[in-house]
Amino acid sequence: MDINNRKVLNKSVTGFGYFSIFLLALSLLIILLPIIINGLGAFFFKGTVEFRRVQYEKFNRGNNEDILAEINKTNVHKNYIYKKMHTFMDKIDEEEIEDSYKYEKNVNELYKLIKDLIGPPLDEDRPVLIREQYGETRWDKAEEKLDEILYKREWDYTNKDKIGRQVKTLRLNDFKGTEIEDIFRYIETNIEAIMLPEFTFYYNFLFDKSYDAHFFGGIWPEFLGTFYLALGAMIFAVPMGIIAAIYLAEYSKEGKILSILRTFISTLSGVPSIVFGLFGLAFFINTMKVSDSKSVLAGALTLALLILPTVIRSSEEAILAVPDTYREASLALGTTKLKTIIKVILPAALPGILTGVIISLGRAAGETAPIIFTAAVSVGSPLSFGEIFNQPSPALSWNIYNLVTEHEAVNEIRHVQYGMVFSLVLLVLSLNLVAVILRARITKKLRG
Amino acid sequence: MKKMFLIIIMLVMVFSLSAKDKIVIDGSTTVGPIAKAFAEYFMSINKDVNVTVSESGSGNGAKSLVNSTCNIAAMSRFMKDKEFKASVANGVMPVAHVIALDGLPIIVHPSNPVKNLSVKQIRDIYMGNITNWKAVGGPDMKIVTISRDTNSGTYETFHKLVMKKQKIGKKCEYVGSNGAVRARVQSTNAAIGYAGLGFVDNTVKALKVNGIYPSKKTVSLGTYPIARPLYMFTNTYPKMGSNLYRFITLHLSKNGQEIVKGIGFVPVTNYKKTRR
Repeated sequence: MDINNRKVLNKSVTGFGYFSIFLLALSLLIILLPIIINGLGAFFFKGTVEFRRVQYEKFNRGNNEDILAEINKTNVHKNYIYKKMHTFMDKIDEEEIEDSYKYEKNVNELYKLIKDLIGPPLDEDRPVLIREQYGETRWDKAEEKLDEILYKREWDYTNKDKIGRQVKTLRLNDFKGTEIEDIFRYIETNIEAIMLPEFTFYYNFLFDKSYDAHFFGGIWPEFLGTFYLALGAMIFAVPMGIIAAIYLAEYSKEGKILSILRTFISTLSGVPSIVFGLFGLAFFINTMKVSDSKSVLAGALTLALLILPTVIRSSEEAILAVPDTYREASLALGTTKLKTIIKVILPAALPGILTGVIISLGRAAGETAPIIFTAAVSVGSPLSFGEIFNQPSPALSWNIYNLVTEHEAVNEIRHVQYGMVFSLVLLVLSLNLVAVILRARITKKLRG
Repeated sequence: MKKMFLIIIMLVMVFSLSAKDKIVIDGSTTVGPIAKAFAEYFMSINKDVNVTVSESGSGNGAKSLVNSTCNIAAMSRFMKDKEFKASVANGVMPVAHVIALDGLPIIVHPSNPVKNLSVKQIRDIYMGNITNWKAVGGPDMKIVTISRDTNSGTYETFHKLVMKKQKIGKKCEYVGSNGAVRARVQSTNAAIGYAGLGFVDNTVKALKVNGIYPSKKTVSLGTYPIARPLYMFTNTYPKMGSNLYRFITLHLSKNGQEIVKGIGFVPVTNYKKTRR
């Protein structure tokens, strides 16, 4: 080949290589960036006075006097708003106003919106539902609510042949000429004084239990559940996997049986995870009765089955990669085969084994399907160590899905969902990082 | 040193085995919000009990009760005779507790000008006889029908009360939860779907059915045509005073009713909260 042609070819191959790496980095960025930005919103945000009230009343955080001072400051405005609303609503009930029935629906809607924004009046009986006890805890949500109070969104259906158009109208127009007319201006101008937004770093989002189906608090039960499940899966899968790998690599004789066995293992790693989930339900819970309901234990066993093939394959590869000279040298010194394996081969294969183990740890932490029927629930308290044997637990991966599909008010708590996604990604990434570092250190040590 | 470590681990294990009592709830995604809120409330006054809730559909709830892998099966329909037979054969005697009432609002995208449909029109839409919104007074759009999966109690109710046990057409989309129906309708102009009362917010529009709007009043009066009770099933009536007993009677208390109402469902009693 002409030397010039070869140069061009070489360059273009390198170029393609760079391009594909660039594409990979770009797609990683496109996937990860929104997760990180939105996820950080669960930790860093402008918290309102209501947020600090929740923190104080539910988690005993903050200073009593400071909170009281803040509440007193905002109460001036709250009382003014509620007094006006209540007198007006009383008049409607007593029908003292002309055409009061016209206002009834609108005023109830407005009252509910105001309650959602600034929290219920404090002199009333406390509602039982926690979400009704507090106003908006986040400033971004409060601004949205304010917009909803000021503007009404209605649908214009005048053109019968087309779909409706959304029209934004001033809610004020519904109450023109009434005594609560000025309440809109009042809320709009005083919103900061009512909500007292303050920049907050809520690192306890990770360590707080949730209140009222994730309306308040953090994701500790989910995080802990994921941790237990992944760790439990490791405890079952790693010893079994390594022993199986040792058998396959060191003891078994090449032949038909071994190749069939290998095919089984590869097939097992290709089985869809939902099948493992159903198997776990049918075998561990309904047949073996490892626990009398879903439990972390049953989930961990199922996950262990799922990652077992990966652990076996990677360990086997690592053991096979140990040079035969190691074995020969060890045996020549007069040790037994078992000792050779434990003292010489396994340490040499450790970096490879560890990589496989930690990659599967990441997989166990992220899997959803195997734990749907065996371990995961949408609400539960954080478990202590003794409870994992017969109690189910929420887990990050499942609860992310659960929030989107089954939560009754998911639009109100998007930040929690993003926070969960972010935490899960962070967990898996940091596990992989630990694997890289560990492997590097061990390899270095082995080289001496 | 190693032995010490092992002993410490053993000690921790033994001590931590003194675990909490548990109540496991499995089943309907419609009853889910009520069950979750009850669980939260119950755990706040009984710190030594762990109440867990999973939402996997009424059918799965029944199966879990039959296999005694849950204490309470939350169901948005009554048990089928097959499920009854299976549970009695397994030594489980299901007892029904009605914890709330629910209407089944028919929901469309808020941009859809249609306001009212008759039960027969809805049936025709789902059977595939009516395929365009124009036929029921709307704009010229192909109707996208959304239904719950057949494992769902909400589906059973719809199948019985609206479809009159006739088959849903082939083009229908089946989704796995109330929230998913709402999400699908939110994002599709031409969609029609159905979900529990507690799942309807201002991102979708509930239609009048036979001229009656689904509300707490019309559901409890029985005038809204697609309404049903929501159940929790237990294995026999729980022992008086037990945690399970106190949980399953929660809906009869004033606070329980306030929770049911706060989430958007209809309490069984004529509970009313005064504004002040």
